Amino acid sequence: MSLVNITGLHKHYGPNHVLKGVDLTVKQGDVVTLIGRSGSGKSTLLRTINGLESFDEGSITLAGQTIGSRDAKTLQQLRLQVGMVFQQFNLFPHLTVGENIMMSPRVVKGESPHVLREEAHALLAKVGLADKFDAWPDQLSGGQQQRVAIARALAMKPQVLLCDEITSALDPELVNEVLAVVRQLAQEGMTLIMVTHEMRFARDVSNHVVFMHQGKIHEAGHPSDLFSRPQTPELQNFVSAVM
Amino acid sequence: MNDFTLGDILHALLGGLQWTAILSLTAFVLGSCGGLIILALRLAHRPVLVWLAKTFIEVFQGTPLLMQLFIVFFGLSLGGVEIPPWLAAALGLTLYTSAYLAEIWRGCVNAIPNAQWEGSAALALNRYQQMRHVILPQALRMAIAPTVGFLVQVVKGTSVASIIGFVELTKTGGMLANATFEPFLIYGLVAAGYFLLCYPLSLYSRHLERTLHVAR
Repeated sequence: MSLVNITGLHKHYGPNHVLKGVDLTVKQGDVVTLIGRSGSGKSTLLRTINGLESFDEGSITLAGQTIGSRDAKTLQQLRLQVGMVFQQFNLFPHLTVGENIMMSPRVVKGESPHVLREEAHALLAKVGLADKFDAWPDQLSGGQQQRVAIARALAMKPQVLLCDEITSALDPELVNEVLAVVRQLAQEGMTLIMVTHEMRFARDVSNHVVFMHQGKIHEAGHPSDLFSRPQTPELQNFVSAVM
Repeated sequence: MNDFTLGDILHALLGGLQWTAILSLTAFVLGSCGGLIILALRLAHRPVLVWLAKTFIEVFQGTPLLMQLFIVFFGLSLGGVEIPPWLAAALGLTLYTSAYLAEIWRGCVNAIPNAQWEGSAALALNRYQQMRHVILPQALRMAIAPTVGFLVQVVKGTSVASIIGFVELTKTGGMLANATFEPFLIYGLVAAGYFLLCYPLSLYSRHLERTLHVAR
């Protein structure tokens, strides 16, 4: 059963037509990677899925519910289902690591602090930061901050997790610790939609790779086919440039 | 001819200083409340409310404080409402303080990176929850130093209340200068009085800026 269903999606930024009719279906447990040159629309596409970007035409349904209107209630309902991890982590600097993780479930869902505390500890253990509950974000390395951001998104128990270039702001030696967490999530059956420049990782972890070019899905398929036998010259160029 | 001892003069000036401090504090406390209300309007998603807040801020930032006091004091009495000078001064200064603090605080809210809005939106917080739990806690920390700094402006601003007849430090000084024919000494002491109130505030503001301007 499809979890996310995108049909005929169009988006304009002023005169720029950034998404030109995108169709994409994501099933439960899928690990989908969006690749492409910068400006190809992959981040924009990702951000429409949790309503951070509006769109002009087409439709997105999530678990059977259509995301049409942009009123605050609808967006909040949507975001309860869709977690997101950002390139720059976006942790809350005025809250400790533990509070970063517990704040949203407490404020939005009204869950009890006692339960949340246990869950937060468990999530931190899962991302390998069991001892950082009381640390402040600025005391952590980039890789550690990003792992906290993943734990924070998971605390809302989303059905889908969006990852927007989550290793692009990291020093090279910190990339793997973050990718290892994502890999583990994928193995546990989490539905993931990722924009990434880590092609090796995309090939190893995802079961569906989408190559975007000039606002359209240019080529898509299983990574073993897509990377070894690219059909279009655009993807051939891209693959030979990045791998 | 001069029947005033230095002790008398200092005693009278301290009395005036006390009223200056009370007026400053009143304007600051009430102005903070007013500032929060204006800030809320300014950040609302309703164009009418934003326009109202903007107009209020522009009017009070674009006219001299003295004129604002005149208009409150004489305007109200023209409308048949007789209010004592202290009340007119407190009201005028409160409005003035509200406008400036709202603008200072709005600057702090705007200084919070968009990433904080997006990060909290992605966690399904609504706009009120974003403000309450993410934006304002960070903005207020940032606002403390400039707010205390602005308090210095309020303290000095209270001196114009002397013109509508409120007997605070400047007015006390004026009366003493007329009676003693020692304007240089008296106004020197008056200035020292303001300095006594303002300098510690400046120092404190600078201290806060150093200690609070880190991320958390």
